[in-house]
Amino acid sequence: MSRTYVGTSPVRNEDRRLLTGQALFVDDVQLPGMLHAAFVRSDHAHALIRGIDASAALAREGVVAVITAEDLGDYWQPGPLLVPPPPIDGIVFNQASQVPLAKDRVRHVGEPVVMVIAESRYLAEDALTDVFVDYEPLDPVVDLEAALAEDAPVIHPQLGTNLAAHVVQRHGDYEAAKTDAHLVINRRFHYDRGAAAAMENRCVAARWDPRAEELTIWDTTQAPIPIRNGLARMLGLLESRVRVVAPFVGGGFGPKIMMFYPEEVLVPWAALRLGRPVKWTEDRQENFFATTQERSQIHDAEIAFSADGKILGIRDFFFHDTGAYDPYGLTIPINSQCTLLGPYDVPAYHSEFRAVFTNRTTVTPVRGAGRQHGVFVMERLLDIAARELGLDPSEIRRRNYLRKDEFPHTFQILFQDFAPLYYDSGNYAPALEAALDIVGRDTFRAEQARARAEGRFIGLGVVSYVEGTGIGPYEGARVTIEPSGQVRVATGLGTQGQGHYTAFAQIVAEVLDVDVDRVHVVTGDTREFGWGTGTFASRGAVVAGSACHEAAVAVRKKVIETGARVLGVPADEVELEDGAVRVRGDHARSMGLGQLAGHANPLRGAVVPGTEPGLEATAYFGPDHGSTASGVHAMVVEVDAETAMVKILRYIVVHDCGKLINPVIVAGQVQGGVAHGIGNAFYEQLVYDEGGQLQNASFMDYLLPTALDVPSVEMAHRETTAPLNPLGLKGVGEAGCIPTGAAFAQAVEDALPHLALEIREIPLSPNRLFELLRDAGPADRAPAAELGGPTAAAAAD
Amino acid sequence: MIVDGEHTFPGPRQTVWDLLQDPEVLAKAMPGARKLTLTGDGTYAGVIRIGVGPVTAAEWTLNVALRDRVPPESYTMQVDSKGALGFTRGNATVNLDEVEGGTRMRYHADLSVGGKVAGVGQRLLDQVAKMLTKQGLDALNKELESRLRDGGGPGDQAR
Repeated sequence: MSRTYVGTSPVRNEDRRLLTGQALFVDDVQLPGMLHAAFVRSDHAHALIRGIDASAALAREGVVAVITAEDLGDYWQPGPLLVPPPPIDGIVFNQASQVPLAKDRVRHVGEPVVMVIAESRYLAEDALTDVFVDYEPLDPVVDLEAALAEDAPVIHPQLGTNLAAHVVQRHGDYEAAKTDAHLVINRRFHYDRGAAAAMENRCVAARWDPRAEELTIWDTTQAPIPIRNGLARMLGLLESRVRVVAPFVGGGFGPKIMMFYPEEVLVPWAALRLGRPVKWTEDRQENFFATTQERSQIHDAEIAFSADGKILGIRDFFFHDTGAYDPYGLTIPINSQCTLLGPYDVPAYHSEFRAVFTNRTTVTPVRGAGRQHGVFVMERLLDIAARELGLDPSEIRRRNYLRKDEFPHTFQILFQDFAPLYYDSGNYAPALEAALDIVGRDTFRAEQARARAEGRFIGLGVVSYVEGTGIGPYEGARVTIEPSGQVRVATGLGTQGQGHYTAFAQIVAEVLDVDVDRVHVVTGDTREFGWGTGTFASRGAVVAGSACHEAAVAVRKKVIETGARVLGVPADEVELEDGAVRVRGDHARSMGLGQLAGHANPLRGAVVPGTEPGLEATAYFGPDHGSTASGVHAMVVEVDAETAMVKILRYIVVHDCGKLINPVIVAGQVQGGVAHGIGNAFYEQLVYDEGGQLQNASFMDYLLPTALDVPSVEMAHRETTAPLNPLGLKGVGEAGCIPTGAAFAQAVEDALPHLALEIREIPLSPNRLFELLRDAGPADRAPAAELGGPTAAAAAD
Repeated sequence: MIVDGEHTFPGPRQTVWDLLQDPEVLAKAMPGARKLTLTGDGTYAGVIRIGVGPVTAAEWTLNVALRDRVPPESYTMQVDSKGALGFTRGNATVNLDEVEGGTRMRYHADLSVGGKVAGVGQRLLDQVAKMLTKQGLDALNKELESRLRDGGGPGDQAR
């Protein structure tokens, strides 16, 4: 192999199409005779439906069908349980999945009640106003603790409770560990909701072709294969007669996972039923109410320390808001539970949560998927402890990191992949020191003091995290060398901007020694590749990337074998170089890969027994465990103590996602994640009133950070390669947004050392921070110490 | 959403009371009212057309029931309004006191607002509620003045 592509950043293969407007997005799908759907949605958070009168809508010209739950007949079924709960002893899990259309009860504002299909979206929208739904309002359930009260209204009467799950996981014996504690800290932390706010909203288009007997569905899903399998089952069609295409998608971030959203289930049904193509494109209003959200949790956490600042144990009780339905099982709270432990040596851990149904939009993973909450709780506890113990925040972390010789490291609690939480590899302390070096270990405190003398409040936050990435079950890839010499790679993932067309091409190009732009990747079309799960949990590069590698290696083997046969020399005398096979030491005897592909697919003669035609191979990859990425984020903020506005002056990320396939793509993921995290820390919050009504369902009132609010991240990479996949890869998709809130909180406190300010909630906003500053008394703590140097162990690395 | 405040009408309490019970007057005074009819003892039904900030004006059906009537002192109002853009429901209490220069009305409404109008119009809701209340009270004032000018209603005797 003479070419090295893994670890470089070639021009992205997909950018020409994206930048010239040639990329297909679902809303670009225009078909002859296409109809358009719109949905009557509940205005109520919780109400009984006493009746629906759709007659006026049906009478409107241009309206083709008006569908209620009753009209769906047997097709009306609650959605599938997408992720079953892990087999934890004593687990309670109450399932209630979303329904295609509300039948007798609505459970959140925005829940679809009636589908209208018309000749145009305009007509369909007009007809929505013709539909009369007679509601009997019920008391809504919004508060997580009140939801579990004896007399609380019950959202799912068949369950008799608003408890969605109760899970206890233990590692070691916390109570015993606590008995020798020098310091015990106990706090309550709040994390509230935000929107994923993908640039492209959801969209589904479907066409039934009666001659091909094939249903084609274009869907903005992150997981086209599970959607195909599920819809085929629901519609009574062969999987092979259903084709799901997830073309270019303008951002996924979790909510576009295989949700079987009502619209996703109804549009294909309608296309089949009406015999005409149907499309629905979500508008931003609908997105605020009907696309899944994340992040409301309340934690009551306790941590015990020895006198020298070593963690003895942690106990955490928390409430997790699952919203109106819980189709995605317990992935989020399990992630919170597991990720709380972070890069630290925690000998004892008791973690217990209750997931709670509320009359708010359903909760499923959004970038970070519960990890933020755990990291926020842990990092805040460490900050509070550092203050109590008179330690610098970085020093308390140094004293508790797992050492690089402690891997693999297992905690006896189950992770989201149902296996004990397993850290495959890591090296944490040097990342902290690298971050402090970028911040300016020897200069920062002096700068801070200088700014302070000028009346400016500058603060630094430095936090750590780990991210379990790259979990199974598996992905696959098929690599084919075509007679043109170009290479085609098919995988089953969906793609939402991660650069799959380039990263996977780099992996294959390196193995086959061809140019990256001669490797054509297709993703997200079940007709091209029909086995796999999807793009989530920062797993695409690790799992599908490894499958691409394995398939390419198999093709390479075929190339050598076929080359040996065609060139008439033993295989060990054949080399693959620059898109051709040739005889080692006799380069005149060579053949291009395209021509060789022709020889592998002969028109006469016979394929050698025991071989397959073509230079093609399919491979699958499923790791035993995920790979544990990690990092340190540092943030320098300036706080306006009067207005409580915070400006982020610098943002530093030292990230370790193992071997980098494409550093520019990794940098993009981190930068985008940080933007998401900054929004989550200080701008974005979905505000619900006590009636379960969302108060800020537009970008006028829901603040997304802009380019002006997000600095260019100063980034450094470390590569602690993963041992459980061939390229040593770890995921990076969510890393940027996981510790941001914790870094923000520490930085704001550090900027205002004269105040007894303790931030225990995220998101903040200028308004909320103003209140916290107003209510904070004077501090009685020593001024910040120097940032200090690494311990001998870390310095030795 | 809480809408509360007070307003002094330049007229006698009974006249003000009668005014506040008269669907024709209310239909005129209510901003955006398309129609309002008495459907039973103290119950009214109607259609109004209101927009809130970025939420385009749309029609809302309105049902109002007056309860706990203590003429001419006080009553409560049950309000139930809905339309394509959402709903408004809740209760209001109205107290009328005789004060120097006329009748003071104190009102307090506790309304829940839902749907699109709550999600998108939130930051304007309070302002719009205040504006609509003011428009309504101004219109009632005008109506009262014209009644008093035209020889007054039955309330005169009560004076």
